[in-house]
Amino acid sequence: MTRGRLVCWLGPFSPCNLNVSAATDAPSPASAGTSASAVDVRDLCYSYGDRLALDALTLEVPAGAVFGLLGPNGSGKSTLLSLLIGRREPASGSVRVLGSPLSARLRSRLGVVFQEPSLDPNMTVRETMALQARLFSLPRAEARQRTDMLLERVGLAERANSMTPTLSGGMKRRLELARALVTNPDLILLDEPTLALDPDSRQRLWQHLLEANAEGCTLLLATNDVYEAERYCRNVALLDRGRLAAQGTPAELKRGLRRDAVRIEWKGDPAPEADAMRSWPGVGGVRVAGSTTHVTVDEASPFLTRLFQSSGDRVNGVRIEESTLEDVYFQLVGRGITPRPDGDAEPEEGA
Amino acid sequence: MSEIEAIASLLARDLRSFLRSRSQLYSSVLFPLMLLAILGTGVNDGLDPKNIKDYVTFLTPGMIVMTALFSSTFSSASYYQDRDSGILKVFLASPHSQRVVLLGKTLSSVVIGVVQALLVLAVAAAIPAIHFQWQYGIAASVALAVFAIVLLNLFLSGLGQLLASRISSMQGFHLVMNLVLFPFLFFSGAFFPLHDLPEWLKLLGRVNPLSYGVDMMHLALYADGSGGYFGLPLDFAVLTLLAVGVFYVGTSRSVNPDR
Repeated sequence: MTRGRLVCWLGPFSPCNLNVSAATDAPSPASAGTSASAVDVRDLCYSYGDRLALDALTLEVPAGAVFGLLGPNGSGKSTLLSLLIGRREPASGSVRVLGSPLSARLRSRLGVVFQEPSLDPNMTVRETMALQARLFSLPRAEARQRTDMLLERVGLAERANSMTPTLSGGMKRRLELARALVTNPDLILLDEPTLALDPDSRQRLWQHLLEANAEGCTLLLATNDVYEAERYCRNVALLDRGRLAAQGTPAELKRGLRRDAVRIEWKGDPAPEADAMRSWPGVGGVRVAGSTTHVTVDEASPFLTRLFQSSGDRVNGVRIEESTLEDVYFQLVGRGITPRPDGDAEPEEGA
Repeated sequence: MSEIEAIASLLARDLRSFLRSRSQLYSSVLFPLMLLAILGTGVNDGLDPKNIKDYVTFLTPGMIVMTALFSSTFSSASYYQDRDSGILKVFLASPHSQRVVLLGKTLSSVVIGVVQALLVLAVAAAIPAIHFQWQYGIAASVALAVFAIVLLNLFLSGLGQLLASRISSMQGFHLVMNLVLFPFLFFSGAFFPLHDLPEWLKLLGRVNPLSYGVDMMHLALYADGSGGYFGLPLDFAVLTLLAVGVFYVGTSRSVNPDR
């Protein structure tokens, strides 16, 4: 699938700024291969004091999938991952991972890549791998062989004896992934694994992740990166304040949307115009959040012409782009996923 | 079996870090020796205490206890480094219980403390100005000293782990350790004999866990025909009870790697 993305900001008296980027074809994830669930949670609830982080969440992750948990900070993604690792006890509901209830033993079949850095600054790359292998009771010969193979694969073979603080950010992330893979897990939990990585490092990391998936490892990814979820995840669950807002393939989730998404910033109350727009031809969903109206349309050009003819003096700015899962989320929930400076997302506890 | 392997691998990791940190290794031995040289000689020659015939030798068991104390404090503080570097999360995501992870961490603290205290003992024994009495014979006295050092480190490392799992910041941890343990050290008989103190200070000495360790070390290294302040059976009973109890409680706490 090749997609083009048009991002356009229009100020009231300024020309359009164009930023066009084309995403490359997404590599094909491994086929599920089995109908069993890698993760099966039912009516899961968890609270941090008075704040409900997971609210009767029910979710099934098929074995072999590349599955994305998509939502803004505070939507419960990291909390769910920490419950799956067994770091927290659910208040209610059931959790089954790889067909079994949670237990310490079960963690021998899991790999985890945490959101924050998690390397020992007093160890070398090889020692990091060796310690993980020993903690997971991997036979020494197998540990050595898998370490060599994985360090080669992630491009760290030549840095095997380097202390971890001397690695770049991208290398550290690749080492954390290699460490998660050294025990040959059936399921890897990834909490925003590409956060703060440059595009090249990001792409390399995903290449390694998809290779692991092709070998049969299920990937469960928590992210608030819409494009990453669309590009790499076969299934996506949209989470909103600990609840499941929607679930499906990116294509399924976007099926109800029109081709373009337009966000209009108004100088005042957007309600009157929003009501009128619903009857305009080619308009799909119209959603109002604060001083912003979010509209999905068949084609942006005629819609914008009409918008500026009818209410041009009240428009503060316009953003146009091809519809994404963020638009699906906005239509469903009434707010965006990507963290914004005005802080429409709540902080989330780490995994 | 895999639990033992996990504990051993965590222990090996902390020992390797300790050996790589040369400054920690050297200062842990040099500091007590420096105190022995300065404080020991200063008090012995400058103040000429009439109740202690050889103050430098008297001070040495206390310095060994102090080494164990400092070592346990520093080693327990590595909990915060592990938490802040994120590696604690990785350990807790392994197929082992929290207790196994804490056992590995606390045992490494014990081993490092014992190694440092034994290094000070070995260096002190080789200094001509220090005259250990070895009143039970060299082998038995050394065994008693090693036993006391192990018990003390079990107690102090357990206490360090217990506090580290309750106190969220490393600064707070060091503050509490200093506030609690420095007075313990001063009223333990490490710097002056408990015999000659006023009653209220003697009472503090009796409720002070370190006093029993210092007393046992004095019996092993300094005393000559003396039964000690508390006596070996009481030293043994109190230290063993504290070491086992506090180590158990310290390694049973639940930890939160996010805080």
